[in-house]
Amino acid sequence: MNDSMSIPHLIMSASTVVQLVMLILVIGSILSWVVIFQRTFIMRRARKAHQEFEERFWSGVDLNELYRETPAEQETQGAEHVFRAGFREFNRLLTKTRSPEAILDGVQRSMRVAWSREEDRLTLHLVFLATVASASPYIGLFGTVWGIMGSFQSLSMAQQATLATVAPWIAEALIATAMGLFAAIPAVIFYNRLSNESGRLLGKYEDFAEEFHSILHRNLQGRSEVGSA
Amino acid sequence: MARHDQRVGYGLPLILALGLHALVVVISVVSLPGSDDEPPSSAIVQATLVSTETATDQAQRAEEARTRAAQRQEPESEAEAADAEDAAAPEQEEPQESEQTPEIDSQAAEEAEALDEARRAAEAEAQRRAEEAERQAQQRQEQEAEAERRRREQEAERQRQQEEEQRRREEEAERQRQQEEEQRRREQEAERQRQQEEEQRRREQEAERQRQQEEEQRRREEEAERLRQQEEEQRRREEEAERQRQQEEEQRRREEQEAARQRQAAEAANQGLDRAIEGESDAVANAEQAQEAANSFINLVRRAVEQAWVIPPGSSDDLAATVQVRLGPSGELFAATITQGSGNSSFDRSAIQAVEAAQPFNELRQLPGSAQRRFRDFNLRFTPGDIR
Repeated sequence: MNDSMSIPHLIMSASTVVQLVMLILVIGSILSWVVIFQRTFIMRRARKAHQEFEERFWSGVDLNELYRETPAEQETQGAEHVFRAGFREFNRLLTKTRSPEAILDGVQRSMRVAWSREEDRLTLHLVFLATVASASPYIGLFGTVWGIMGSFQSLSMAQQATLATVAPWIAEALIATAMGLFAAIPAVIFYNRLSNESGRLLGKYEDFAEEFHSILHRNLQGRSEVGSA
Repeated sequence: MARHDQRVGYGLPLILALGLHALVVVISVVSLPGSDDEPPSSAIVQATLVSTETATDQAQRAEEARTRAAQRQEPESEAEAADAEDAAAPEQEEPQESEQTPEIDSQAAEEAEALDEARRAAEAEAQRRAEEAERQAQQRQEQEAEAERRRREQEAERQRQQEEEQRRREEEAERQRQQEEEQRRREQEAERQRQQEEEQRRREQEAERQRQQEEEQRRREEEAERLRQQEEEQRRREEEAERQRQQEEEQRRREEQEAARQRQAAEAANQGLDRAIEGESDAVANAEQAQEAANSFINLVRRAVEQAWVIPPGSSDDLAATVQVRLGPSGELFAATITQGSGNSSFDRSAIQAVEAAQPFNELRQLPGSAQRRFRDFNLRFTPGDIR
């Protein structure tokens, strides 16, 4: 009797639909945890990298030197990526046009593209987390409703309806809801946490882009004055 | 410069996620059996009706045997203590004796001083006596030590035997209890089988009766059909006769009527016989119904008491109480008394309260008279199964 009430036994003796629901929920839970761990690592690295880069950028190093030090475009991330994109565009346009507005426009555009790529990189898979968070309780509930339906159907066959005959069925059905909640709760918490963190990082990148833009603007201003003088 | 080797892969997160889930599964699997292992009983029914005779008291007898064994052991240990005291007593006496011998020595020396001649002899004698006394004391000591050793060995042997015997007795009691349990289980199974068989037999008889009734009806219908045909024929013949010969016709009609009356009488006799047979089978069916009603009464009482029973929290599963229930003629409760208590007073009280709450058992009135008398007085045995 109590052996039949253990959770593995209940899962094994559940109906096919309920078992399918449980399988979906377990897979969803595992994937959401993979995303949680992976995103957490990426966020931590991005935060650290941003800190290091900002320190270096504001340490008064020559921008050309900094540009040469940074590796190729594809491997850079975060504010570094934004800086590289902007500075490369600035250098290219500087040789082609003398109009400061045109140069600044081009720089801004390329930095916006780089920023947008960074946003895409940071918020990757977060939508999946949100989906698991919102959908898995419903999936679990569906499993429970289906299980209880089955239990009542079989109950109508039974001669005596005591609590002991109903209880295993209901326990079995409720496992589906428990699993749904088990998958959903971490997904909700970490979705909020990770999306907040990525938003903050993107805000920092944006600030950096603006600051860099103002530096370039200052540079061009000086140059055009020199040129006109 | 900052790390450019990053690009976080999915390998480590996947391993971590799988590890986390495995941990959750392990925790849920490991902790649950631990908490579930306590109630191993498989009884679904929480109260079982025992026949009007009291349940066998094998367990009680085993308990009594155990207490008796314990009592027997107590005197033995007392005897042992007495023996030890006995052994100690001679040892205490010995020093007194050895104190006396120097006294004798000193006396002999004084005598030797008075009588020179007698001195040597007396000295020698005193010495001899002293030696003898010493030897004797040593011998006695040795004997006593040996006796004591022997006694102690015997005692140890006896104790070991007693322990073995006790163990054997306990094992036997255990075995007996198990056998009895098995027997009881087998009896219950047999009872259930018998009930099923009875039910089947009853159903078969019912089907048989129905078939008979149907046959009879068919027979009656056929007979009615025949009668109608005959009547038609008769009418036809009467018409013919009326047409042909009115005078003779009257006479013939009278004869025919008489014949019809005779036939009817025979038919009536036939029907009477059939009815008698039917009445007999009805009586058999009534007896069956009484049996069935008795069985259903047992079930009803059991269910009512089960539902009214509030098991006190914390009562262990191996408690069992037998309650004797006496009912009035209309099913009201006269008395409910504990005949075999469980040792737990709150458990006993809950059992009596359950019976009191479940009364009156109005179904008793629906039983036939003989069964009523049988069920006016019965025992209910309360054992808490696992309540889920």
